[in-house]
Amino acid sequence: MTASRLGVAVAIVAVVAVLATVPLFSSDVIVQFGINALLLAVLAQGWNIIGGYTGYASFGNSVFYGLGSYGVAIAMVQWNLPFAVGMIFGAGLAVAFAFLLGVPVLRLKGHYFAIATLGLAQVMSAIVSNIGIAGQNIGLVLPPLNNDHLFYELSLGLLVIATLTVFWLTRSRFGFGLIAIRENEEGAAVMGVNTTLYKVLAFALSGVFTALAGGIHAYWITFLDPDSAFDISLNVKMIIMAVFGGPGTVLGPVLGAFVLSAVSEILSSKVTNLAGLFFGAVVVAAVVLMPRGVADVMRQFRTAGWRYFVENLRAHRI
Amino acid sequence: MTTAGAPKEREPLLVVNGLGAGYGGMPALRNVSLEVRRAEIVALVGSNGAGKTTLLRALSRVIPCTGTISFNNDDLVAKTPDEAFATGLVQVPEGRQLFDRMTVADNLLMGAYRRRDRAAVANDLDRMYTLFPRLGERRTQLAGSMSGGEQQMCAMARGLMARPQLLMIDEMSLGLAPVVVEQLMDVLVEIRKQDVTVLLVEQDIHLALSLADRGYVMDTGSIARSGAAKDLIDDPAVREAYLGLA
Repeated sequence: MTASRLGVAVAIVAVVAVLATVPLFSSDVIVQFGINALLLAVLAQGWNIIGGYTGYASFGNSVFYGLGSYGVAIAMVQWNLPFAVGMIFGAGLAVAFAFLLGVPVLRLKGHYFAIATLGLAQVMSAIVSNIGIAGQNIGLVLPPLNNDHLFYELSLGLLVIATLTVFWLTRSRFGFGLIAIRENEEGAAVMGVNTTLYKVLAFALSGVFTALAGGIHAYWITFLDPDSAFDISLNVKMIIMAVFGGPGTVLGPVLGAFVLSAVSEILSSKVTNLAGLFFGAVVVAAVVLMPRGVADVMRQFRTAGWRYFVENLRAHRI
Repeated sequence: MTTAGAPKEREPLLVVNGLGAGYGGMPALRNVSLEVRRAEIVALVGSNGAGKTTLLRALSRVIPCTGTISFNNDDLVAKTPDEAFATGLVQVPEGRQLFDRMTVADNLLMGAYRRRDRAAVANDLDRMYTLFPRLGERRTQLAGSMSGGEQQMCAMARGLMARPQLLMIDEMSLGLAPVVVEQLMDVLVEIRKQDVTVLLVEQDIHLALSLADRGYVMDTGSIARSGAAKDLIDDPAVREAYLGLA
C-alpha cells in the first residue's frame, strides 16, 4: 500500500516536472493552450472543494472568478499596485463574499442552492457595471506583460497548490467533516460538526483558488469587462470538468479539465463550427457511461473491465 | 468518565424548567419540566405528535426555545448545537441519520469527531465492537447496506463514540423486529452500568417503561404524568389512555 502510494507520488512529481518544462520546447500556441487548461483545472479543483467534497453544487464560483479578476485589475490600474498585491486583494474580496453571502445562501440545499447561486453572478455583473472604479460597463485595460512562460508557470504553481490543498483535505479532520456534511448533513450536525462554519469555510477556500485563477487570467488577457468576468458559462465548464473527472477525488477534476480542454481544442481546430455539438456529445456520453467520473473508471476498470460501462448504462435504465 | 460503582444516582444531570418551543408560531411544547439524574434510564413516552422529538430537538439546541435547560450545571439555552454536543449531550436521531455511503468503522469514527485522544478513540472502537459484535463483523461494510436493526446499532454506537454523559435515543424501536429490540435493550442496560445516562424517547410506551427507572408521559405538548416507571405502567389513567388497557 505505502509502496504504491510512493509510486503515485513519484509519478505525479515527474508529471509536474515535465509540465513545468513544456514552455521551453513548445510553440506559443501550445503554451497558450496550456495556460487555459491549467487555469480551468484550478477552477475545476476549486469547485471540487464546495461541489465535490461538501456536496453543494455551486453556480456562484464565477463570482469568485470575477472578483479575483477585478481585484487584480483595480489594484494594478487604479492604484498602481503590483500584481501580487492585486492577487491578495482579489482573494480577500472572494473570502469576504463567501462569508457575507455564504451564511444565508448555504442554508439552502440541492436545487435551491444551485438556483440561488446562479443568480449571484448576474447580480454581481450588474453591480460592477455601475462601479466607477471598476470601469463600469466598459471594463478595464491592464498593463500588458508579454511573458506567456511566466503565466504558464504561475498557473501550474497555483494548480499544484490547489491540488495539494485538496489532498490535505482528504486527510484532515476538516475534510472529514465536509464529507460528512455531503453524506448526511443532519447526521453531521448531530455528531457535533459546526455545519454552518464548515460550509462557509469550504465556500471561501473554493473561492480563494477561483479568484486567484481569475486574477492570473485577467493579467494575462490584459482586458476585462463585467460580462466576461462574471460569465456563468465558465461556471458550467468547471462543473462539467470536475464531474467528468470525478468529483470528490483529488486528481479527478484536474484530469477532467485536461482531457476536456484537449478534446475541445482538437474539435474546434478540426471541425470548427460543429465543435460545440461534438463537445456536447462527449459530455453526454461521459455522464451516461461513467457517472462517477474518470477517477472512478480508473479504479474500477481493472476489476470490472468493459462491464463497468454496461452496468452504468443499465443503472440508467436506458 | 466518572468512576463507576459509587451510587451517585440522586445527583441531577439534566434539569429542564418551563420549556416551550414551536414551529413558526405554532407551539409544540408548553411548560415542560423534567429531570434526568446520573446513570438513570429515563423514558419519555407519548403518542404521535405529543412533542417528544421537538423536546429532543430543543435540548440539542437545533430549534429555539424558551425556559431553562441546565445540563451539568451549565446553561444550555445560549449554546449552539455543536456547543451543546461538546458538553456531552448526544442524540441518536430518529431515522438514524447514518452516513450511508461510509463504512461502519468510518461512521463510528465520525461519532468521535470532536475527540482528539486517538488512543482512547481506538480503544472505544474496540469496545463498541465488543458491545455490538454484529458491527465488528461488518466494520468495512457500507452503513447503508445493513439491515434496520444493524443500522440502529451503528447509530447508537456512533453516539457512544462521542463519550456522552447523556445519550438521547429517539424512537429506537421504530420499524425493528422485536428480537432486535430485545438486543438493543440489553445494550442499554449494559451501557448504563458504564455510567452513561440514557433518555429514551419512545412511542412504544410499554417497552420503554418496562426498561426505564422513571418515566415522563407526554400529551399534546406538555407532561401529563411522571414518576417511577413501574408506577406509570400500573397507573390506570396511563393504561387507559396509552396502552389501550382497561
